[in-house]
Amino acid sequence: MLTPEKMSRLLIVASKEQLVSVTQELYRSRLFHIEDYVVDGREGYDGFSIGTPLEGASEASGDLVKIRSIANAFAIVSDDVEPVSRQRQADMKKMIEQEFPAVEREVTELNGRKAKLEALIKEYEQKINEITPFALIPTDLSMYSGYERFSVLAGYVARNVAIKEPAEYRIVKGKTNLFLVAVVPNEHRGDVERQLQEAGFTAVPIPAGSGMPQNRIEEYKAQIGQARAEIESITLNLDAIRQKRTGFFVACEEVLKAEVEQAEAPLRFATTDQTFVAEGWVPAASAAKISESVMKATGGKAFVTELPIGAHDVVPVEYDNPPFAKPSQVLLDVYSRPKYTELDPTLMISIIFPIFFGLILGDVGYGLILLAMALALRRVIKGEEGKYLITVLRNASISSIIFGILYSEFLGFPCPWSPVLFSRHLNIGAHATGHGPKIPELMILAVWIGILHITLGRILGIVNHSRQDHGDHRIKAMLANLGWILVMWGILAVIWSIVKMPIMPDFTGMPAIVSGLNTTAIIGAAMIVVGVVFIARDSALEIVELPTIISNVLSYARIVAVGLSSVAIAMVINYIALGMMIEPQLENLTLFGVVFILMGVAVFLIGHLLNTALGVLGGGLHSIRLHYVEFFTKFYKGGGVKYNPFGLKRRFTED
Amino acid sequence: MAAEAVVAAISDVEVMKASQIGMKALSAAIAVGSTGIAAALAEMAIGSAAVGATAENKDVFGLVLLLTVIPETIVIFGLVVALLLIF
Repeated sequence: MLTPEKMSRLLIVASKEQLVSVTQELYRSRLFHIEDYVVDGREGYDGFSIGTPLEGASEASGDLVKIRSIANAFAIVSDDVEPVSRQRQADMKKMIEQEFPAVEREVTELNGRKAKLEALIKEYEQKINEITPFALIPTDLSMYSGYERFSVLAGYVARNVAIKEPAEYRIVKGKTNLFLVAVVPNEHRGDVERQLQEAGFTAVPIPAGSGMPQNRIEEYKAQIGQARAEIESITLNLDAIRQKRTGFFVACEEVLKAEVEQAEAPLRFATTDQTFVAEGWVPAASAAKISESVMKATGGKAFVTELPIGAHDVVPVEYDNPPFAKPSQVLLDVYSRPKYTELDPTLMISIIFPIFFGLILGDVGYGLILLAMALALRRVIKGEEGKYLITVLRNASISSIIFGILYSEFLGFPCPWSPVLFSRHLNIGAHATGHGPKIPELMILAVWIGILHITLGRILGIVNHSRQDHGDHRIKAMLANLGWILVMWGILAVIWSIVKMPIMPDFTGMPAIVSGLNTTAIIGAAMIVVGVVFIARDSALEIVELPTIISNVLSYARIVAVGLSSVAIAMVINYIALGMMIEPQLENLTLFGVVFILMGVAVFLIGHLLNTALGVLGGGLHSIRLHYVEFFTKFYKGGGVKYNPFGLKRRFTED
Repeated sequence: MAAEAVVAAISDVEVMKASQIGMKALSAAIAVGSTGIAAALAEMAIGSAAVGATAENKDVFGLVLLLTVIPETIVIFGLVVALLLIF
């Protein structure tokens, strides 16, 4: 539970004739994590080389690429498709051979035609753009080109201009600025251009073709319309294919993927001319089952043995958690998967994370909103990770409701009962009365949580070092962790002997023994000294880190700080919406007042929506940060390799 | 005369008390605000580098998150000072 699942190292040796049956059997069992063979001149592996793919690998992967490109064009993601019924693999293979080429041709043709039409539309639009300025001058387009002794200039000018040279020209007012078309004799062209340049002339290309510009534009528009209609019918066609064939595509993909993975497995084995060696990991509980099934599949013509796990072996890690803790594995994976020898803190996260979240966002209203959101999203979100995250959110929101009852809060309003836990009700607004929030108690509560959480982390650190280290270093590292605990509690004891604080033991009343220090202070000081010695014995440099004890514990104050800010925002929204906008208008209702009340309702809704979003971010991020930064740094390193068994979780097909 | 002077003195004391509370609130605000700005400035550079590093290699996420939040200590100390000032 607190450690990853136990693994066994399996070695399978057989002649190459058995390659197919062994691969198939391993693939079917979905338990064997292959350790890729690397040619690195390891002892005992002389003369071995990487194997070659099985027959049919390249055809299958070619088909797979085609299927995936079509699925991509249709935006079909197999994770998002709910399996309806399972197809038999043999049937699927037949279908891939018979039906797939025709479907592929049809889809490629339709897509090609669509792309061509889209290009055509672009071209026409370009032409329309070119002709549009000329539409203001009712002249046939053929008049603008085909001269030997004349040049045609067209373009926009910044201001009205009078061409002095003999030339035929028109200036019209365009949409934004003036448009000029001029026909000038070739010999004057230079002069005219100079003049135009001074008037800020920017040339446009002269459109080719003939006919009145307006008519041409209409023509092109009609053609675009036709192309659009055809694209629409193609899209409908493609949609119909998508609707009809989605199940077929995902099943094809699954079959081919399985085929390719199996065919390419020998690339990960060590082989000689006649034999092959497959090395890998299986959960210890199923090691016997695997060897048995491999022996059965090969008719006893394989050698399967369990190898001892070496100190430097990279053992793949599979979580082994009770069902309620499983969703929290996502939070651990974001940080890093535990190493095989390390403790797996998932269980602790699954309990402590919702508590932190509830302490921060303890509000019945927000909790209910988040719970409804989580339950609604459960239906929409597919894929294991997404489902896990939603479950984490659901647990957090339930905790938020529970703490909301303890804090007596509903969307920032006080509930009819008085807070069981320390009050977080702020005095906001002109008529606010009451005690106000119990900040000192809340702060010390947070500090207590920090102290306990960090102590737990350090204890886990002791366990981890005792499991992972060897010899002299093991004892030193364990004592260093104990030293950190001693220093922290020592500092606490000294503080207790000096200051009286709520919800903390009070030792200030004890009689002083030496120079104003009482027994508690002396015990505390002794703990600090012993702790520092323990830490320094492991690594003297760590002494520099001593102040982090205080900063880490105080970091838990964010539980109160972020929580209070959320309460404050909620109360301010309520005050603005109800106290300032709705209630005063209700006393003396007018037409203007109704508008004002509606505005108040809007402020209320938008404000609480925003605060919910902030609450999720604040509550979630800060809770998980306390785990990652304050808790994990005490014992957890991570960096384990994910257990990724050879095989495919079939969803759409079956053998 | 004497009575008026006493009343004036009392009101002076009240004004001073009120202004002391105001100064406390102001100091607390400065403590949280300035440390908040400082933490933000420090996290700005680390955060952008962290995002860059994560884009290149997803495995470092845990480590860079840790590095990114180190300056948060500053603002927490600010918060503690502010709370000590007020309560």
